[in-house]
Amino acid sequence: MRTPRHDTPGVEWSPSTEATAPMGPDRSQPEPYPQTCPACGGELGIDGYCLTCGQKARSLREHYELEPVSWLAGVCDIGQLHARNEDALMCAAQGDRAVVVVCDGVTTSQDSDLASMAAAKAACQVLWTNNPQGLGTPASRASAVAAVITQAVAAANEAVIDQTDPASPNSAATTIALAVIDGSTAYCANVGDSRVYWLPDEGEPQQMTKDHSLAQDGMDLGTGRAEAESSAMAHTITKWLGRDATDISPNMATLDIDIAGWLLVCSDGLWNYVSEAADLRSTVVPLVADQPTARQLAARLVDWANRAGGHDNITVACARLQGHDCDD
Amino acid sequence: MAIFTSMVYQNEFLADGSTDVNAIVRISCSEAGTAGQTGVGDVGEIVIVDTSASMGLVNLQAAKDAAMVAVDTILDGTYFAIVAGNHRPYLAYPRVTSGPGMVRMNPTSRAEAKRAIGSFRADGGTAMGSWLLLARSLFRSIPSLVGKHAILLTDGENHNESVPQLDASIRQCLGEFQADCRGIGVEWQVSEIRKIAQALLGTVDVIPSPRELPRVFHDLIARSMSRGVPDAQLRIWAPQGAQTLFVRQVSPTVEDLTHRAMPINPLTNAYPTGAWGDESRDYHISIRLAAKAVGTEQLAARVQLATGPSILTQGLVKAKWSADPGLTAQISAEVAHYTGQTELAAAIQEGLAAHSSGDDVTATQRLGRAVQLATQSGNEEAASKLGRVVDIADAATGTVRLKRDIDKADEMALDTASTRTTRIRG
Repeated sequence: MRTPRHDTPGVEWSPSTEATAPMGPDRSQPEPYPQTCPACGGELGIDGYCLTCGQKARSLREHYELEPVSWLAGVCDIGQLHARNEDALMCAAQGDRAVVVVCDGVTTSQDSDLASMAAAKAACQVLWTNNPQGLGTPASRASAVAAVITQAVAAANEAVIDQTDPASPNSAATTIALAVIDGSTAYCANVGDSRVYWLPDEGEPQQMTKDHSLAQDGMDLGTGRAEAESSAMAHTITKWLGRDATDISPNMATLDIDIAGWLLVCSDGLWNYVSEAADLRSTVVPLVADQPTARQLAARLVDWANRAGGHDNITVACARLQGHDCDD
Repeated sequence: MAIFTSMVYQNEFLADGSTDVNAIVRISCSEAGTAGQTGVGDVGEIVIVDTSASMGLVNLQAAKDAAMVAVDTILDGTYFAIVAGNHRPYLAYPRVTSGPGMVRMNPTSRAEAKRAIGSFRADGGTAMGSWLLLARSLFRSIPSLVGKHAILLTDGENHNESVPQLDASIRQCLGEFQADCRGIGVEWQVSEIRKIAQALLGTVDVIPSPRELPRVFHDLIARSMSRGVPDAQLRIWAPQGAQTLFVRQVSPTVEDLTHRAMPINPLTNAYPTGAWGDESRDYHISIRLAAKAVGTEQLAARVQLATGPSILTQGLVKAKWSADPGLTAQISAEVAHYTGQTELAAAIQEGLAAHSSGDDVTATQRLGRAVQLATQSGNEEAASKLGRVVDIADAATGTVRLKRDIDKADEMALDTASTRTTRIRG
């Protein structure tokens, strides 16, 4: 068995204020920007405009990339049409263990950009700091991890509620999709319609998560995917995190990784353009021909979705996993 | 503490390949406080009265009355001096020959100043440059002054100095103090006085009747006393490689500031704006950028108001290149309005200059254009003053005929009013 080699711990990145704001969200802080101008390398003003060439830089909320280890990275991007980025991505990794969380704030709810970020941070924190081993058997391990995932989703839900202005009639809401990677096992979970895909180098690609959406309900009743996902109500989610959520129990699945491949955690900003797992692999195959890093692949998929229209915010996290049968 | 705010009016969308960004930036000041009483330093007022022989009994008496009203209006504690000017400059009050040339206003100095003013006699010629230089020296003799304002009254041409002499004196006074200038009668040159007022960040106007002089002086001093921010700069940052095409104040009056640029750093220029009270002023900024790809957004200018090192407000002028003609074809209503007001001022001044040089064809054409612009933009003051110089056949097309006997006073009133603009309607 071969495990990927990594030596950097998870990132500590804080895009906005802490997730507790008793009077509702705090937007008083300026948006964070990169250190230097992407266009000319000059110093950026606090408003994001370069102090030399004047070009507007994207804020770190509009576009950021995380790469805690070389085999796991993600890109969170505003897309082409939305005014702000309501997706959020958090991840942490060390050795062959990693945690990835993607949240997609519901556009029609208030402050969902803050809510999704708070949720992703809270869930990532719980998942990363709790590393249960169970009684040693895979089954007891899986149930111990499931308990942590349930705890993480609950923490994310609390974080969303804390970000919600108590007076808001339109309280913040977000989806969540997450993966806990531990050696050659990946534990996946979701609430709402953000997804985890497994794209093995050979064999059947699969969508590891099952959406909570009207489209999925339609598919469960026998409607074809293409028809279900193109209906007017397809994007209506039936579960979410937030003050008015009634059921936050996630769908969960465990993946035993026996062959090398890519694990993808993404928001619908990507899968809107390629939903079926087999189609997603067809999209990925030409993008990995030159054996890119995880960060390069995530960036390429975000670019691809942006070129396809970028109608929604786009988040893609990619993990390059070596199966336990691999021997190199 | 004064509060400054700014508003930017522009269409930030540029068509593919376009380079020029135009914006109107409105800077407003509130809670300015009273001059000399905001804790930033002392202020000084100098009243300069033409006492040349041409003033005659009536105008001189009006000038004395007005100067006394000015002394009454200057607030206690303010440093002040009275200058009587003919072909030489005289310090009428305080009666000192060296040392500090200004004293603080109090009941005693006020009474003494009035007695000094009462002894003015009309005599001699006119050398305004020398008056300005005396005022400069007087202001400089009080190091604690942070606000310096003068009012200058004259009735005639600057006979006793050459044009280069006057210009040299004006240059020496740049940035030293502000001066509002008034002319009485019809023997003075509007262009000469306007040159002084513009350089010294003041206003120019004609006083048609000596009776109005005391009220005018009262208003000028009162306004100066209400300017609690003694000195502020407009600062404009433009990106590397950009060219500042022009910087103009466009409201309340048109004043081209482009040539007044003082570099602060390689990308920032400062322009003088003088003292501020509770008021707002509009600036038209025009910047040329290198064209960028469609979709690019950049800053074309940061427009700031600063006192000393403090930036009090900032407006951002932006450029966004777009392929959508629905976005790029619109011209900001404010930009269009003030472009018209600037052309109106130029048309009036060019028309009057052509008329005085005997070129009635150009005069008719330019004043006709002015009538058209004044009517379109709702500048009623300009329209009514134009109506005293030309007969208007059709305001919409600018068809006019010069009046046969143009009253010199009407011509001067039109000339001095030419730079006053209106705000956009609605």
